[in-house]
Amino acid sequence: MKATYFDGQTARHQPVDIIVSQEGIWFSGDGIAGRLWSLSGLHPIDPPSPGQPFRLTHDKHPGERLILADEAPVQQLLGFAPHLAKGYLPGSHFMQVAKWMLGGIAVLAAAGYIIFTVLPSWAAQVLPESWKQRAGEQVEKSVIGDAKTCTAPAGVAAFNKLLTRLGKDHPDLATARVTVYDMDLLNAFAAPGGRVIFTRKILAEASTPDEIAAVLAHELGHVASHHPEEQLVRVAGLQILLSAFSGSGSDTLGNLAGLAAIFRYSREAETEADAFAVESLQKNAIDPMAFKSFFEKLLKLEGRNSEAAKTTALDRVGNIFSTHPDTRLRIDAIKPLPADVKAEPSLSAEEWAALQAICGTAKEL
Amino acid sequence: MEDTLQSAPPHPAPETIRFEFKTRPGLLKLTIVNALLGLVTLGIYRFWGKTNIRKHIWSSVHINGEPLEYTGTGRELFMGFLVVFGAILLPIGLLSGAVFIALGPESAWLSIIQFAVILFAYVFWGYAIYKARKYQLTRTNWRGIRGNLVGSAMTYSLTYFGSMLASGMSLGWATPVMNTVLQEQIVSDMRFGDAAFKFKGRAAPLYPTYAACWFLTIAAVIASIWALSSGFDYFSEMMEKLALGTELDGTAVITLFITIATAFVIVLLFYPMLWAIYSAKELRTFAQYTRFDGSPFTLAITTGSLQWFTIVNALIMILTLGFGKPFVQRRLVRFAIDRLALHGMVDINRIRQSQAEIDQRGEGLADAFDVGGL
Repeated sequence: MKATYFDGQTARHQPVDIIVSQEGIWFSGDGIAGRLWSLSGLHPIDPPSPGQPFRLTHDKHPGERLILADEAPVQQLLGFAPHLAKGYLPGSHFMQVAKWMLGGIAVLAAAGYIIFTVLPSWAAQVLPESWKQRAGEQVEKSVIGDAKTCTAPAGVAAFNKLLTRLGKDHPDLATARVTVYDMDLLNAFAAPGGRVIFTRKILAEASTPDEIAAVLAHELGHVASHHPEEQLVRVAGLQILLSAFSGSGSDTLGNLAGLAAIFRYSREAETEADAFAVESLQKNAIDPMAFKSFFEKLLKLEGRNSEAAKTTALDRVGNIFSTHPDTRLRIDAIKPLPADVKAEPSLSAEEWAALQAICGTAKEL
Repeated sequence: MEDTLQSAPPHPAPETIRFEFKTRPGLLKLTIVNALLGLVTLGIYRFWGKTNIRKHIWSSVHINGEPLEYTGTGRELFMGFLVVFGAILLPIGLLSGAVFIALGPESAWLSIIQFAVILFAYVFWGYAIYKARKYQLTRTNWRGIRGNLVGSAMTYSLTYFGSMLASGMSLGWATPVMNTVLQEQIVSDMRFGDAAFKFKGRAAPLYPTYAACWFLTIAAVIASIWALSSGFDYFSEMMEKLALGTELDGTAVITLFITIATAFVIVLLFYPMLWAIYSAKELRTFAQYTRFDGSPFTLAITTGSLQWFTIVNALIMILTLGFGKPFVQRRLVRFAIDRLALHGMVDINRIRQSQAEIDQRGEGLADAFDVGGL
């Protein structure tokens, strides 16, 4: 039977005689010494297709080609080696794709792991203060929208007193500051750069200053553990990874501020902040049970805090009491003051009244 | 030497070259599998899918009865992507991200980085095109011999950048000259084995057609401005009537709607259709300027066929939401092969494999810029 051989060195069209057997293809021609291409080493260039020559190469002779133009030897060959009929896909290179895919996923997972765990805690330590402040400003702006700051001086003074008391011993809380916004939303939130944000509504829902002290202590826990900065690095890293993968370069980075909307903390971070809060409250002789009761109250209120609220950025950041299966565990983890410690009120009655009037509006209790 | 000559089989006479496109079944299956695996693998399969499509299309192109063979692999394309991703996209992303966090969104540095990225893209655009073409040629085998581009991608890229500047500054009038220069550069670098392609010819014959298209474009721009302004008058008149509560008859509304729709279609279709006249002329001319082994090519592309080809391609892409791209690519190759001819005899048996080096990685940058062609 006839076939054509190309030696991979010249474009010379070399007619050869072939014999197909279960050992392979034996061929010889003018100036081509007889040789055998074993069945196991044969590879089809394309799947066999009617009207098209069937082209073969061999593992041991990768540049050489044997072209079977007639149907008969092709059928004979496929009888001995049905695997040669396979197409380009997917079996032929499925393992390779799978390997690269797994490799790719591994690289992504490694990059993700670095971005989500190693990098944030490292970066949060080394980020210059000015960067943190700038990022904090961005996040705060994107979350608050056009809400007004509450600045009644007596109220601000009362809140600052609470802040100083709870944060005095901690070096990482030196730059912490609290701002109250005139918003009808139930939330408190920590942004990069030591910015703690309260809404008017959460102040209004508290029945004692201890409850506010508890929430503040929790947010300071986030600040002290650099959670906002870590989250910022996470969000930015994810953003960079996504934009690099989608090939769109830097244009999506403009949405970084908007991405603050996914500024939710992990369960571990919340637990860490809770632990800090309880410890800090106990150290200052403020009864942590206020934390517990307020927690439970807010949990109940949250059901009613829906509709309009859900659509705003501040609500999407998630609040400390977000309904989560573990919330119950967190509440149960709060322990009262030791029996020998006498509780001290976190603010005087006048200070508490001033704090509640910080937005200058009449509040309902 | 004497020995080899004697042992070699008798030297057949030079052959005429026939190009033929023979459709192979199975493209639909490849397309569907590619789309599905692309989804499953989060896009990583893209490189292997692209390779399969190329293998399929290449093997449908028969030259003197022997099909082309595409020897590229998905792995090479993937490596090309990884390198560009790691060396260019990722650092740009990291830098922009760091600048964004450090200096805020209004920082001038962000604009400077953006400008640098755009400048980089412009300067390396031609590089990407050249490298992609080189990769594809080195992975194209016919009779066991591969093609190549043996020149400098950077030289081509700088010419390309210069041609973009020249075309822009001359309001387009430099385009035929620059296109000829670019085509000459890339064709002269083209090899099949040790046999070279040659390109020789002047841009002057392109100018009458170019001028016609150019002036018609200007006329069309003026006409659309006029139509737009009168249409605007008519439109505001209607709005006024509507505001005054005057009755609007249905025919007027329908007329308005049809007018707007027609204007839209004309603008969308007119320019590509008009410039197809020039493109067809340029393709025909460049084919005639190209020689292989001393024989000239012809590419019998008429304006009408190119226009129809463009419209059908656009329809396929729109109606299949882009998933029909492999079919458009096959149409492109078929369109060219059906019209391509080489006039003269070529002594093919004399052609030897070239030992010129070939790149190990695929067209990464072209992939990022999306100028990889097929």
